[in-house]
Amino acid sequence: MSNILLQIIIYTVIWGSIYLLISLGFSLICGVLRIFHLGYGVVFILAAYVTWFFMEDAHLGFVPSILLMFLVQCVFALIIFYKGVFQRYMEEEEVLLTVSILIFLAVAHLANYLYPVTAGVSIPSTIIDDVLSIGGVTIAYQMILAALAGILVTAIYVLWFMKTRVGLVIRAISQNLPAALLMGANVNRMYYLAMILSVIPPTICMIMIAPFWGVDPFMGASLLMTAMLISILGGLGNLKGSIVASYLIGFIHASVSFIFVSRFMGLAALIVTLVVMIYRRGGIFAGETLW
Amino acid sequence: MMKKIHLFTAMVLVFLLITTGVWAASPDTTGPIKIGFMGNMSAPFSLSAKAAAAMAVDEINQAGGINGRQIKLIVEDTKGEIPKAVEIYKKLVMNDRVLAVFIGEKVEMGVAGMEIGAELFPEYPHIFFSTIGSGDDIWHRVRDNYKKYRFGFQTYYAISTNYLKILAPDNIDCFKNQIKIKKVAILYEDMEWTKPLRQGIPNVSPSLAAIYKGKGVNVVYETTTSLDQKMFNPIFEEIAKSGADFIDCAVGYIDQPAFVKQWAQSSARNIPVFIWGGLAGMPPIWKMTEGKVNGIMVGSSLVRVAITPKTIPFMDNLVKNYKVGPIFGSHTTYDTIYGFKKAIEKAGGTGNIDNLIKQLEQVEEVAVLGTIGWDAKYHYNLPPPKYVTPIVQWQDGEMKVIYPLKYKMADYKAPKDLRK
Repeated sequence: MSNILLQIIIYTVIWGSIYLLISLGFSLICGVLRIFHLGYGVVFILAAYVTWFFMEDAHLGFVPSILLMFLVQCVFALIIFYKGVFQRYMEEEEVLLTVSILIFLAVAHLANYLYPVTAGVSIPSTIIDDVLSIGGVTIAYQMILAALAGILVTAIYVLWFMKTRVGLVIRAISQNLPAALLMGANVNRMYYLAMILSVIPPTICMIMIAPFWGVDPFMGASLLMTAMLISILGGLGNLKGSIVASYLIGFIHASVSFIFVSRFMGLAALIVTLVVMIYRRGGIFAGETLW
Repeated sequence: MMKKIHLFTAMVLVFLLITTGVWAASPDTTGPIKIGFMGNMSAPFSLSAKAAAAMAVDEINQAGGINGRQIKLIVEDTKGEIPKAVEIYKKLVMNDRVLAVFIGEKVEMGVAGMEIGAELFPEYPHIFFSTIGSGDDIWHRVRDNYKKYRFGFQTYYAISTNYLKILAPDNIDCFKNQIKIKKVAILYEDMEWTKPLRQGIPNVSPSLAAIYKGKGVNVVYETTTSLDQKMFNPIFEEIAKSGADFIDCAVGYIDQPAFVKQWAQSSARNIPVFIWGGLAGMPPIWKMTEGKVNGIMVGSSLVRVAITPKTIPFMDNLVKNYKVGPIFGSHTTYDTIYGFKKAIEKAGGTGNIDNLIKQLEQVEEVAVLGTIGWDAKYHYNLPPPKYVTPIVQWQDGEMKVIYPLKYKMADYKAPKDLRK
């Protein structure tokens, strides 16, 4: 019994931190731009396939490939999504949602066309290829590192939003856009910044989880679903809510897996989210603010 | 009054023509033999099967065709959508007037094709082949209503009865002899094809677990995983706790790269794993898992071993001239076309569809993976030892056959020894 408890605790922390990394960028877009970003899954595909392109086809090393991929991510987020879609269709929500998801699907299919499963795409980002035993529970070091990355990135983001002037402006925009405009906030510049900030956590996530996660052209859909579930449960656009929801989903997944059977963990998380939504319609931290 | 009589006579004549089949189109007996291939051209397995079909057709045409007639291959993309597949099937049979439709795609497409084919068959006699779809849905139709579905053939022997009566006992003997297994953990994916393995087939065979027990191997853990599952660590933790010395994975469609990667980084990483089929048996998995697949055993037809004189030339030619690797479905599609060719030759042409069906039920032809032919009653292709899928083990970047012994390339090695 104590072993099961230990397994649940360890996997709650590990999975919760990884889910946080998956969902942080989505929550940020929801909180700052007030957009339900259905094209968010693109980030994961670009992280894997652009890196692969630079490594395999352009014959660059791992680090230059990662850096160039980050650049591509930023350009894609700013030019395709922000300038091309969000700015243009900000007032036409249904068009914005439709175009966003179409871009996501197009990128996934393009990746599948260029690099089908037979291409053997992978990201060689294993840092420590070994396992750690904690009280009889075995964990891959790479999972621990991915979890640590999740905690670290979230801590940096929260501190930055709380302690810096730019963070204050972004929070102000998130709380009350007309008031922020009246106070002279450069909203457009902050939106640009938010777009760039939103691609960093999922990109780091993809690099960190690749050694134990399946990489395929359509993986963005399941990762987008995870991000959406966490954001909805936590309260759309609220980072505090995302943190709590990530660990709550991690706890549900771990408990169901170790006490019951792992194939029901997804269903269990959906049921809990539904129940929460019935009693707290806006999620755990319902509110229109980032923090 | 006379007008009414003429009209009535004309209607009776039309009715008789339709019901007696005089109006029914019969297959062309001259000119090129047209065959249709349909599949999801975004899916690697369909693309590989399409290339294999083109290769077989090119080879046959270069060698003079079938009874002097060239084969014309018409390729169509279903985009993986059933309604589109149904429309394409109708187009191939009614407009293009193909003699045979080959569906190189998952079984749901095969079933949709077979149903629409059954409706068209009386008017447009043709043959239907499913060369990728597994499971029992196709051959059960032939078994249950031979008259209606007799035009349908399945080139995939891995059906439940054969799984339980031929493959499983054979594999267990292999693992007992080579790995000395005593306690097994069984993992099934949550799909229709594993249901008979989990539950057995009444009056035919007990479940897979019962077969293990019957062979003296203790089943210490059983579980089912869903197709969308990404995290398998809890399963491996449970298996390690169960004391199993072997993991039998009746899976083919789960996220195998994630599964393999997590096995290699879990408490169960030293327990040998056998995967029934899928991506783990294809060459890209080594790169995809950064070598973490080392030690995994898998049923794979993609290993370079000369099962017949056709095997290696088939693999080389496909890569060299058709720019695709042989993956799941390419061998079966290629072999099916050669089996079909031989049946036409034995039938003396394509004019009598029932004679052609009879010949398909009796034909045997040297194939890439052994001997191609179909069961006379149920129309699935002949199971092992006629048609073979070797068990391979990933050893330092290469797939090595460990069973059947006839094709053995290397001894089994424990995963922990391979990682050294």
